[in-house]
Amino acid sequence: MELFFQQIVSGISIGAVYSLLAVGYALVYSVYNFTNWAFDAFMAFGAFMAFYAISLFFMPFWAAALISIVLTIVLSVGSERLAYRPLRLRKAPRLFMMISAMGANLMIVNLLNLIFGGSFRRFPVDAAKPFFIGNVSIGRMDLLAGAISFAILALLWWFLYRTKPGLGVRASSIDIMTASLMGVNNDAVAFIIFAVTGALSSVAGVFYGIKYAVFPYMGLVTIKAMIASIVGGLGSLPGAVVGSLILGVLETLVAGYISSTYRDLFSFLFLVIILLFFPNGLMGKSGDEKL
Amino acid sequence: MNRSSSLFSWLRVPLVLVLAAGLLLTGCQQEKTIKIGYVTEQTGVEAYIGQATVPALQDYIDEVNAAGGVGGYKLQLVAYDTRSEVTDAVSVTKRLIEQDRVTAVIGPSWSAAAIPMAEIADTNKVPIIATTASNVNVTVDEKGELNPFMFRVCFIDPYQGFALADYAYNELGKRKVAFLTDVASPYSVGIQRYFAEHFVELGGEVVAEEGYQTGDTEFRAQLAKVKDSGADVLVAPAYTYRDAGLIGQQMNALGLTITVMGADGWFVDDLLSMAGKELEGAYLTNGVSTDDPAFAPFNAAFEKKHGVKANIYTYYTLDAMYAIKYALDQAVQKVGTPDPVAVRDALENMKDVQVFTSKMTMEPDTHNPHNKPILIMTIKDSKWEIVKTFIPGQ
Repeated sequence: MELFFQQIVSGISIGAVYSLLAVGYALVYSVYNFTNWAFDAFMAFGAFMAFYAISLFFMPFWAAALISIVLTIVLSVGSERLAYRPLRLRKAPRLFMMISAMGANLMIVNLLNLIFGGSFRRFPVDAAKPFFIGNVSIGRMDLLAGAISFAILALLWWFLYRTKPGLGVRASSIDIMTASLMGVNNDAVAFIIFAVTGALSSVAGVFYGIKYAVFPYMGLVTIKAMIASIVGGLGSLPGAVVGSLILGVLETLVAGYISSTYRDLFSFLFLVIILLFFPNGLMGKSGDEKL
Repeated sequence: MNRSSSLFSWLRVPLVLVLAAGLLLTGCQQEKTIKIGYVTEQTGVEAYIGQATVPALQDYIDEVNAAGGVGGYKLQLVAYDTRSEVTDAVSVTKRLIEQDRVTAVIGPSWSAAAIPMAEIADTNKVPIIATTASNVNVTVDEKGELNPFMFRVCFIDPYQGFALADYAYNELGKRKVAFLTDVASPYSVGIQRYFAEHFVELGGEVVAEEGYQTGDTEFRAQLAKVKDSGADVLVAPAYTYRDAGLIGQQMNALGLTITVMGADGWFVDDLLSMAGKELEGAYLTNGVSTDDPAFAPFNAAFEKKHGVKANIYTYYTLDAMYAIKYALDQAVQKVGTPDPVAVRDALENMKDVQVFTSKMTMEPDTHNPHNKPILIMTIKDSKWEIVKTFIPGQ
């Protein structure tokens, strides 16, 4: 039984990191109907910025995290200006935006590799000793990561549903053309969306870096978040969170009870089955309001 | 016109003399020189390999030549760069054999290049000694047939599993092993297989076999099962040190405190800063170590002379060179000339020959060094420490 609870606890902590990234995918997809493949790079960039803020400039953790969020927002918004907006304004097919995103991703990740080197760095914070309930270990950092992830998601929900700019984003997610005819500033919406996703990927990168290691290709994990967001219902924020938690727990349970070697095979098989019964994902809506 | 032809006639005699002398000299040189080829990385990310090996080979060859060479022949090194590309390795090997007419080739350092090079060696009947290419199929192909002209001076991957099992059972008194293996890596799987075989043979028990795929970063589900299995030692033969570091960190997070063992994939100094604390007291196997006090005088002299630190590639490359020198001596004694086939025969029958790092015996049926010593190392105070030199069969 202890083993079971340990697996559930680990699964939730993994799912919490996925959910930060999955929400980013959901947000971009809901408005622009394209998948931002550059999250990968934003996440690694965020982790590197926080890493160097601490190890080179001896900043306290919160300051480093803040700097990393700001810089990643700049990168995210900047990449929107350079790589997506020109295409959007010329009404390029969405596929081209994805290709452009992949290009941005490759460029940033390889630059990180070139500038900082490919070695695996330990994030310079003291991972406090875990505490135990019975024999089940619960990481303090995991708890913090989980709490902050959910707080950020709650804040995002509040922003989208309780503020006027949030209303603009939601309106754009239903129909971007009509929303702009009604006076919603498209460029402002793009700014908000990319700023929010930049911040989310920075936070995800920092927590991922603390939990594992900081290295240029750390963003490969975003593929899991992408899948979580599809299963949850692409474009749905609560769906992205639910999908992430399901994927995290599923992975650890499969690894724990079926086969650790074929964890991904069985987890993804299960997800395919979910999609067979819920083709729009668990919480996806085919029509109107997506967020 | 007249003037120029008279100039020519004036020059003709000395010119012919010089040319004739030159021809004679090069003729002598061709007869009395043995060329040794070296396939290495001098540019690119792995340039440190070439930088720390070419000067070492040249030093040794100068030494041999100063002492009279091999049976009156002078040795000459011909080193070419591969940029770590398999295609380059293949083309420079062909160039060494077909154009430079080398007697033997040293290198490469990695198996993906060594496997196609073995075919070139066999076709042209020129021996090649790989330095650190440790895949089983470098010297013996997938059908189990020996590549007659391909040799190596390092041990093969699975061999480390054997040494680890021996040490775990006999020296550490471990009886129940759990594995956490990268199932996508033949290196990792091979070490696990040989560890398990030998450990069970000795009387130990395998209580958990967990796996993961290359690139995974999350091991807690597997480690929780290991904890549950009651194992007293965890073997994690990770190919990259990242896996080892993450496994150490996540064991710590789960409160799993059993002994961990790994292999030479761990041996990168960055591991110590990444998870030195968590892996305190872990064990690993390694071929040679630059920390070995026996190499200290060599290391110091080498760094002073060349401004580059000697690394383990230096040692392996010298091992190959020493083996070739021995084989050349034998060949010249036997057939009077440094015939590549005679050199091959001498390499195959090497027995207890002192090379740079140790005594070496070649296994005639596999062309791998027989019972090559393995270092058992531990991590102590976030530093590597050699605890034992393990010689199988002793």
